[in-house]
Amino acid sequence: MLLIYCPHCQENREEEEFSYGGEAHIVRPLAPEALNDKDWGDYLFFRTNSRGIHHEMWYHAVGCRRYFNATRNTVTYEILETYKTGTQPTITGANS
Amino acid sequence: MSNGIKLESPLFYFQSSFNKSTSADELFNAEAECGLVVKEAPLSAHLILRGDSNDIAFCAAVAETLGVVLPLKSCTYHQEGNTSIYWLGPSEWLVIESAGQAQIIEAALRKALKGHIAIVDVSGGQTCINLRGVGVATVLKKSTVYDFEAWDLATSNAGRAVQTTFAKASAVISNRSDGSYDLVIRRSFVDYIAQWLLDAGEEFGCRIEQG
Amino acid sequence: MSQNRLESHSGVAIDFTFNGKAYQGIAGDTLASALLANGVNVVGRSFKYARPRGIFGHGAEEPNAIVQLGSGAGTIPNLKATQVELYQGLQASSVNGWPSVNFDVMGLIGAFGRLMPPGFYYKTFMYPKKLWMTYEHFIRKAAGLGATPVEADPDCYDKLNQHCDVLVVGAGPAGLVAAREAARTGARVIIADEQSQFGGTLLASKQQVDGIAAPLWVASLVAELMAYSNIQMLPRSTVFGYYDHNFLTILERRTDHLGLISTRGARQRLQRVRAAQVVLATGAFERPLVFAHNDIPGVMLASSVSTYVNRYGVAPGNKLVVFTTNDNAYQTALDWQRIGREVVAVVDTRSNPCGDTVAAVKAMGIEVIAGHGLIEAQGSKRVKRALVAPINEAGTQVTGAVRRLACDLIACSGGWSPAVHLSSHTGAKPEWDASIVGFRPGDSKQQERSAGASRGTFDLMGCLSEGASAGAQAAMLSGYGDGNLQFPAIAVDEYSEQPQQALFLVPHTKTTSRAPSQFVDFQLDVSASGIELAVREGFESVEHVKRYTALGFGTDQGKLGNINGMAILANALDQSIAETGTTIFRPSYTPTTFGAIAGRDVNNLFDPERYTAVHRWHVEQGAQFEDVGQWKRPWYFPKQGETMQQAVDREGLAVRNSVGILDASTLGKIDIQGPDAAEFITRMYTNSYLKLAPGKCRYGVMLKEDGMIFDDGVCACLGDNHYLMFTTTGGAAGVLAWLELWQQTEWPELQVYFTSVTDHWTTATVTGPNARKVIAKVCSDIDLSSDTFSFMDWRDGTVSGVKARVFRISFTGELSYEVNVPAHYGRHIWEALIAAGEEFNITPYGTETMHILRAEKGFIIVGQDTDGSMTPADMNMDWVVGKNKAFSFIGRRSLQRSDTVRSNRKQLVGLKPLNDKEVLPEGAQVVFDAKQKIPMAMQGHVTSSYYSASLGHSIALAVVKGGHKRLGQVVYCPLADGRSIASEIVSSVFYDPKGERHHV
Repeated sequence: MLLIYCPHCQENREEEEFSYGGEAHIVRPLAPEALNDKDWGDYLFFRTNSRGIHHEMWYHAVGCRRYFNATRNTVTYEILETYKTGTQPTITGANS
Repeated sequence: MSNGIKLESPLFYFQSSFNKSTSADELFNAEAECGLVVKEAPLSAHLILRGDSNDIAFCAAVAETLGVVLPLKSCTYHQEGNTSIYWLGPSEWLVIESAGQAQIIEAALRKALKGHIAIVDVSGGQTCINLRGVGVATVLKKSTVYDFEAWDLATSNAGRAVQTTFAKASAVISNRSDGSYDLVIRRSFVDYIAQWLLDAGEEFGCRIEQG
Repeated sequence: MSQNRLESHSGVAIDFTFNGKAYQGIAGDTLASALLANGVNVVGRSFKYARPRGIFGHGAEEPNAIVQLGSGAGTIPNLKATQVELYQGLQASSVNGWPSVNFDVMGLIGAFGRLMPPGFYYKTFMYPKKLWMTYEHFIRKAAGLGATPVEADPDCYDKLNQHCDVLVVGAGPAGLVAAREAARTGARVIIADEQSQFGGTLLASKQQVDGIAAPLWVASLVAELMAYSNIQMLPRSTVFGYYDHNFLTILERRTDHLGLISTRGARQRLQRVRAAQVVLATGAFERPLVFAHNDIPGVMLASSVSTYVNRYGVAPGNKLVVFTTNDNAYQTALDWQRIGREVVAVVDTRSNPCGDTVAAVKAMGIEVIAGHGLIEAQGSKRVKRALVAPINEAGTQVTGAVRRLACDLIACSGGWSPAVHLSSHTGAKPEWDASIVGFRPGDSKQQERSAGASRGTFDLMGCLSEGASAGAQAAMLSGYGDGNLQFPAIAVDEYSEQPQQALFLVPHTKTTSRAPSQFVDFQLDVSASGIELAVREGFESVEHVKRYTALGFGTDQGKLGNINGMAILANALDQSIAETGTTIFRPSYTPTTFGAIAGRDVNNLFDPERYTAVHRWHVEQGAQFEDVGQWKRPWYFPKQGETMQQAVDREGLAVRNSVGILDASTLGKIDIQGPDAAEFITRMYTNSYLKLAPGKCRYGVMLKEDGMIFDDGVCACLGDNHYLMFTTTGGAAGVLAWLELWQQTEWPELQVYFTSVTDHWTTATVTGPNARKVIAKVCSDIDLSSDTFSFMDWRDGTVSGVKARVFRISFTGELSYEVNVPAHYGRHIWEALIAAGEEFNITPYGTETMHILRAEKGFIIVGQDTDGSMTPADMNMDWVVGKNKAFSFIGRRSLQRSDTVRSNRKQLVGLKPLNDKEVLPEGAQVVFDAKQKIPMAMQGHVTSSYYSASLGHSIALAVVKGGHKRLGQVVYCPLADGRSIASEIVSSVFYDPKGERHHV
């Protein structure tokens, strides 16, 4: 049971209010039809599956209904920061 | 309602099937015994308002039209008279007004607000119930994972409201100045929540009151 | 007075039975102390060898005294007698020992213990394989694991979600002072202890604290804590799990001490605590010594003997031999001497014990046999004598003649093991510390710290000062206080102790494999020789040895045996204990009832039942209900004496021939507003909404980005930049989250807002050739003529005096009007429509008829005919995919992937059984050749199947490989009963293929 700080509600809230949204910062290709099957497949199916620092989306489903991002350590489950969609993490694999 | 149109609150059937008719005296005694009293508010107008909270003109127009300042701080609500506005999200509010006002308010807001906004009448889909009594704090602990105790401990706790899970449903829960709590709940979950409350409140003595 | 009860100790008598025999205990007893007071030696049989076993400990570590309480629905299996508080009328029985603890068939096996090495069952009962179930049944019954009740639990349970700044686990000396330091800062504190009374070891201590007896000091401190309003004190509450982000679970036993079934309120409460900071003051377990036949009743932990004497006033024997590696156990000799019973001797493995307690014991005139080991206990159902022999300094060999000491009680102590369990739950790896001969908690992985014995600090002064510091620090880190201690140091009278000896296996005159069994794990009969054998058989990892020997697998979870077991393993592997490490402790710390985990989420509260505003009408009409997600939807409306098939036939024919009415309120509904609404919707659906005019509706299919159908429904344009999207009943929340995901994270520049309005509307679908006539009777302000209000239009109007939205959309293929009103008017509008339809015999129908009618039309149900691997083309729905859309809608690119354009994908077709009354089972596999060998080449499966009264024959929808090109072919559905049903592949549209009926 994680405790997650919602950057919109500005409070720690229990995990059961949220649903997981998968890896963050994956941008949809602007011209999907221009991609070959392999490249489109990479976008569709492949994720970093990081060990350690991981940026991921969470949806505050039973709360403010906003998506936001979290930087989570997938080994310890520690959530190092949460930040609004459209902004960048301050903690990344490179600086941790 | 006149002209034979039947209007039923979400708790209508639950009340009629569970409430024994009690005289005033019995009610008084029951009051003393009950640690949890659940009371449905009269049917009201509920509207979802969407807009840009960074837009000063938007905020001002809402305040002007509704006579209530739009709450911009997360997890709070503002109330003036019969009008309440609950913060639900950074661009989302719940407006509760007296019954029958939904279309009037919607029209007034649409006239006053410019730009990208939304107003949705959700009056039929939800209802407001009030929980009071000595057992309320414990019942909230049984039913939600939110830390309502922290509100009581805070130096300023007026006008707090959160949307959170309630048993296996959800609710917008706000504190009242008399120490009771209001829950805005969805119509289709009302029977489940009422049964849950009766069960959770059993140890304190529990009663559901007509709105 | 019972034979072993001390005269100094008295209380209210309590009657109870054990294995059918009546006994008496006194108030304050545990079942274990009462049994000991009554001189009950054998309380159970061991798991494997069925050896008689007696009470060994006094708390959560107890391996032997496992009991079942009561019988019938309220019976509780697998409790430790040491943790069961006695109440009037308690009925207990041993879980082990069939048919009785004093005589049982497995006892014979016990005599051949050496013939049952680890893995015995696997090795012996492996062949013939089919007999394993038989063996297992017999072995389990004989071994005894307690009996689960077969009736519903009559008790109720509850859950509480708690939040606190400081959670203190354990109310021994360290925990109590930690709680005091934290509470005085104003922090919200919870302190929980598994025992009925706070105080831990101090309750049985003869020490003076602050100039008064320890139990009195505890009482005054507890009273002081109770005065704080910011502290919750939870006795009888076991913290059994420590999870992520400082989330801990507590099992609070509220009425277990009062009787089998709670007469008022919840029997147990699961407290789910989110704590900012945690202080673990969980104490330590005394370690038994591993010597031959150390499992005979009458061998106990030294601290347990002292606890029974000092706290419960019970002397569990007469002639005591203390066997120790440390000074601490000498206290037991002093306690025993004080009550006037005989201490035969203290056997100490150390050659020159000389601490304060040693001197005190010697001063009493008690013989101290130094440099010796108690190498074997003798006796059958009770210890009769101890064999004592000199051993070398290293404790590995017997070096001289064996001496016999007559006794009936052996109190042993191999030192203390910190209770690192909760710390381990966080992922902290316990670290071996030779100076305390035990594992200390590893580096904190969460916001927690250990204090006192659980940290390896065993002296009282150390426990108190560590506890105080931990409490103050925890409070400070949660934002309260400055971390400084407020309360002055506490004066404690204490003995100084000399170092203990690390000894995990007491040598015998024979080798380990030849000596009588030296038990390490009592409950599962794991012996030292068994561990050594496991090593000889090639097991090296502690985790593997644990699983092979079952060390630590019992309900005591190895609280006694693990350290000795690891050490014996390390020795056999010729490596250090630190290198060998310990197994990982996981929740639960002690067994937890399913009732507490379920709480009040049972019976009618197990899952929410969602009702529409018309629900009561359906109930009154005798509807049968179907679960659709959490909704209760009418399934069919049987009339008196009707079968389901008859009801469904009647309902379907009514719709086709006159008019029916369906409660469609459960469909998901999302209000969409904003200048970019049309653009956004067009990106989400396969077809375009850019030119959809107000007053118009369009059916759309939504794909996931992989091209697979995810939801479908109608979307209506309500006005400029304003739409209403219908979703499937089960998909409503998922679709809303899906829309929000794309708008918020991918296209925030698109100005559009979404709001769920599912609950706001009641939707009554009036459908059938007479639908228009029915609507006309209750609605006068909408022009219902087909020219002005045609198929896929919607209109605002007044229906029976209520403002309504009426949609001309159809899921039956008939002329249909869906009347939407705010749900408070739901029943009103429903009854008005029923009244208006009376002259046309308007027939309410449920989901079953709805399914049949739509299947007759070949309309798919997402989630029934699709399963997340179907494209629109697979469903023969290419017509719904916009070919000229500017934007690459969600999923479009995937429709061109090599896999999605394969010609042999499973495709939706109709199946018409050749025997046209036979209804195919849904889910049946489709093959092309029914005569082929098993396993057959499976070519698809039936997704929907019904008998159609309108058509007079049964119909099915199926997905079949390459099905669209197989019209007219005959395929087969082989069934489990050996039959094979032949069907012809036909068009999936069985009824009114030209769609003329809904356009009227």
